[in-house]
Amino acid sequence: MRPSFLKKKRAMSDEMSLQITSMADIFTILLVFMLKSYSTGAASLAPSQGLSLPEAHAESSAVEALKIEVSRDLVQVEGTPVLSLKDYQFPKQDMNAQGASLALTAVLSKERKRQLEIAKQNTEVSLDARVVIVADKSVPYSTIKTVLASAATQGYTDFRLAVVKGE
Amino acid sequence: MNISGGSGHSGSQDFDLNLAPIIDCFTVLIAFMLVSASFVSIGLLDAGISAAGKASDSAPAATVQASLELQADKTIVVKVLGTKDRAQKAGFSVKPNGTEWNIEALAAKLREIKAQWPGIDSATLSAQNSVDYQSVVRVMDTTRQTLPSVLLGGF
Repeated sequence: MRPSFLKKKRAMSDEMSLQITSMADIFTILLVFMLKSYSTGAASLAPSQGLSLPEAHAESSAVEALKIEVSRDLVQVEGTPVLSLKDYQFPKQDMNAQGASLALTAVLSKERKRQLEIAKQNTEVSLDARVVIVADKSVPYSTIKTVLASAATQGYTDFRLAVVKGE
Repeated sequence: MNISGGSGHSGSQDFDLNLAPIIDCFTVLIAFMLVSASFVSIGLLDAGISAAGKASDSAPAATVQASLELQADKTIVVKVLGTKDRAQKAGFSVKPNGTEWNIEALAAKLREIKAQWPGIDSATLSAQNSVDYQSVVRVMDTTRQTLPSVLLGGF
């Protein structure tokens, strides 16, 4: 009687079949996870590449408001470049006596006039004083003051600072 | 009795699920979700400004206010300003913890101030020009735990 350990080995097949059932299971789990973390809020606060927001405990979520973004080399209003910065600093020739930026003030003034025009045509729309500041965590306070002063002179007095929600 | 639907049908209701189109759909959906997903949660901190001694409209006026100033050497100067009684003015200096801001000491000091002057619920935060934004936000966040209304000053 032939011992069992001398059984002939099964010939190995060169073909490998794709286990689609397992792949479907993995894809289902991935999809459920992605759907759970997917949000479709009206406000989008995606900072530009390379911009690191400061961390803080913030309760309020994103709102629909004018967005001013301050990075190392650029100031943007609603995604449109306004002024180039040199190492987070406003150029001296752009500053007025009140500590506001002339270029930023001009853009915000135009935006304010546009809102006024819309409010005149549509009585249901009121002037919005909210502005969201999206600034890199390394921006010096002097630059933040310039941005806030520029916005305040144009009637934007309700400031929201965009932060990464900490634990 | 066997019910069969048309010629050639065996009458069995067994069918094989064709997984290939399902995998195609899932691949497209997952690719779309990955591109549009944001794994960083962004929130907003309410901040008003205190310019020329006037508080912004969003912050309630308070008789007794706290004032914090962040200095370049990471010292935090805390002052309590009371308009009714000048004797209520008090000043504290929170020294840095090595080379970092001493946030725990600041939080403890603010709790002491709140216990001594329960009417305080707002603070004005200013900083020297070279202080970075992260430090301002961090101190603001700590202050808000005790004094809910924090205005940015120094204008």
